[in-house]
Amino acid sequence: MKKLISLVLAGIMTFSLAACGQNATDNQTTAQNAQTTQSNEAQTAAAADSTQSTAEPMELTMYFPVSVGGGPDALIDALCAQYHEENPNITIKPVYAGSYADTRTKVQAAIKGGNTPDLAIMFSIDLYSLLAMDAIADINSFCTTDADKEWLNGFYEGFMMNSRDGETTYGIPWQRSTIVLYYNKDAFREAGLDPEKAPSTWEEMKEYAKQLTKADGSRYGIEIPSDGYAYWMLQTFCTQQSGFNLMNDTGTEVYYNDDRTAKGLSFWKSLAEDGSMPSGIVAWATTPSDFIEGKTAMMYHTTGNLTNVKKNAAFDFGVAMLPADETPGSPTGGGNFYIFKGVSPERQQAAFEFIKWMTDDERVAQWSIDTGYVATRPSAYETERMKAYAEEFPYCLVARDQLEYGYAELSTYNQAEVQKAIDDAISYVMTDQKDVKSALDEAQTTAENILKAYK
Amino acid sequence: MDIKYSAVKAPMRGRVHHSVHLGRILVYGVMFLLLTVSLIPLVWVVRTAFIPRELTLDLTAVAWPTLENFRRVLAAAPFGKYYGNTIFIVVGVLVVQFVLITLAGYAFARIDFYGSKALFVLFLSQLMIAPEVLILPNYSMMAKWGLTDTKIGIMLPFFASAMGTLIVRQTIKTIPYELEEAAKMDGANLFQILWKVYVPLLKPAYISFGMISASFQWNNFLWPLVMTDSVEKRPLSLGLAMFAMSYETGMQWSDVSAATVLVCAPLLILFFVFQRQFMESFMHSGIK
Repeated sequence: MKKLISLVLAGIMTFSLAACGQNATDNQTTAQNAQTTQSNEAQTAAAADSTQSTAEPMELTMYFPVSVGGGPDALIDALCAQYHEENPNITIKPVYAGSYADTRTKVQAAIKGGNTPDLAIMFSIDLYSLLAMDAIADINSFCTTDADKEWLNGFYEGFMMNSRDGETTYGIPWQRSTIVLYYNKDAFREAGLDPEKAPSTWEEMKEYAKQLTKADGSRYGIEIPSDGYAYWMLQTFCTQQSGFNLMNDTGTEVYYNDDRTAKGLSFWKSLAEDGSMPSGIVAWATTPSDFIEGKTAMMYHTTGNLTNVKKNAAFDFGVAMLPADETPGSPTGGGNFYIFKGVSPERQQAAFEFIKWMTDDERVAQWSIDTGYVATRPSAYETERMKAYAEEFPYCLVARDQLEYGYAELSTYNQAEVQKAIDDAISYVMTDQKDVKSALDEAQTTAENILKAYK
Repeated sequence: MDIKYSAVKAPMRGRVHHSVHLGRILVYGVMFLLLTVSLIPLVWVVRTAFIPRELTLDLTAVAWPTLENFRRVLAAAPFGKYYGNTIFIVVGVLVVQFVLITLAGYAFARIDFYGSKALFVLFLSQLMIAPEVLILPNYSMMAKWGLTDTKIGIMLPFFASAMGTLIVRQTIKTIPYELEEAAKMDGANLFQILWKVYVPLLKPAYISFGMISASFQWNNFLWPLVMTDSVEKRPLSLGLAMFAMSYETGMQWSDVSAATVLVCAPLLILFFVFQRQFMESFMHSGIK
């Protein structure tokens, strides 16, 4: 008996150790796995739920994640309260749901438990996971009037790419971002470079980065993060080759071992080989701090960091579109509004009206100014408040200009695993464990095996 | 936690080999090193919480401590409500757990019923299952009972603790059976035996399990997040997350640190108070 117990205990210890190590990825994969097996149950739950009566006044529940600092939760609360004032019949109950991954878990649990929320803000790349659960409603079907259709066509195409499956729209862009180049003008001056001219091509960037690197190791030329959002960074180098992207637009195919992917990854890696980027993995979370402290002269990071850098950098800095290869290009990122199946049509319609209200030009502009997310509609940049803000802080327009070359973020069925395949390949290459070709071939095989089920 | 653990353990080892001076110096050296390494994050967090925001990244900066970070964090979320909820959940879960693990632990240790050993092993298998895996099924069950968005719904899945039962059972096994027999001779019934003989002797076990359980509930994040929709029902860990989740932009270190100090200070203080009993009970129950 004693032996048995000690055996059990030993088992537990190993298990919990392993669990600690990969908690973050675990959550994701667990959630992902759960998802595929649950689409059926979700349907049943949805059917049961739609019988819910909808007596006026209505209270809609909206789940939302927070993944930037600066208290966007308070802004969301305020917007919902304002909507209620203007539409006394409708109350929007905003429910903070953690990170994007937590929000996905919460939404899945709620759907399975028959408590489907009316709407949610979720990661744009959760699209195919939500489709696999048959959880989200087609937005096109709500756009009945010409005004509605015009509204729907008024978003940046770069953002809509992650909001559609083929021709059907499922998400409405809200808290969206893209990648830009931040550079330290003081460092440029010191290295004898023109501080008003950011590198505009790959060759220029490579050259500048070499010149900006200090031999004593106190400053690198550039940092491009290669953990967490590694696939996102790789996508910049891919889309800059005349818009080549890592996947098709129905989430069923990836092109990890394409020559252009290899070319992009090799170029990225070459920056480290030059010694102008730290070798090994560059961490997403500390890259902005490195930049602010002057440990790197340039960085690739999300526009969501603009306010942070602006507030904390003690030096003169610049923001520019990413250097181009054949063309400029950057993937977009961030969160969309989704409306759920399994609630009554009246509630869905009310949710739709609320989303339309939220994405009104003036509000989109204000949200962008307050949070640093990119305004999702070109017309928002025509509003007075946005013009005034741009005058005071012209760098907020860089992301807008780049959106002309915006592409979809990697989004496929079984997202977590397909994404992990390419992330792993990137870290193998960055840490010199595999060469570019074999790492990408392996990633492609892994991804194809996972995606087989969805063809 | 590890720090204190080794700090208490090592002097005992020292006593065993007290003729070997060099060994002792070595042991203390390693201990000191471990202590420093484990203290660095704590010291950094406390420093960052109290230092003015603009000096956060400058490690050499010296400044008067400020409460500005705390003021900002406290204004941004209803921490009072969160504290209340967390304490309610932690205490509520503990009380029920103590009752249940005492009864179950006694049954598994002393009552010889058919299949008791198999049942015990089955019960222990609960320890093998990561709580995250159970979120979806547990939520469905709570939804069926209408307990979503309630505090009782957050607490319910943790009432029957395999770990607590294991600790109590093992402790009871070390208590001489004669004590129970003597009480029986004096005419005590089962509940009197439990209450008067075992419960006082189980105190170290309660404290060690209580610490584990309280810190788990205190830190529990995903389950309460999934279960609750309204701010009034949410615990402290969710309040902290609001500040710690700015992954997309890089951290606002001063806010995160201030919130972290707010959240873990009570637990740390509690630990310092109970530290001695905690260590002793760990040695008694033989879980290392």
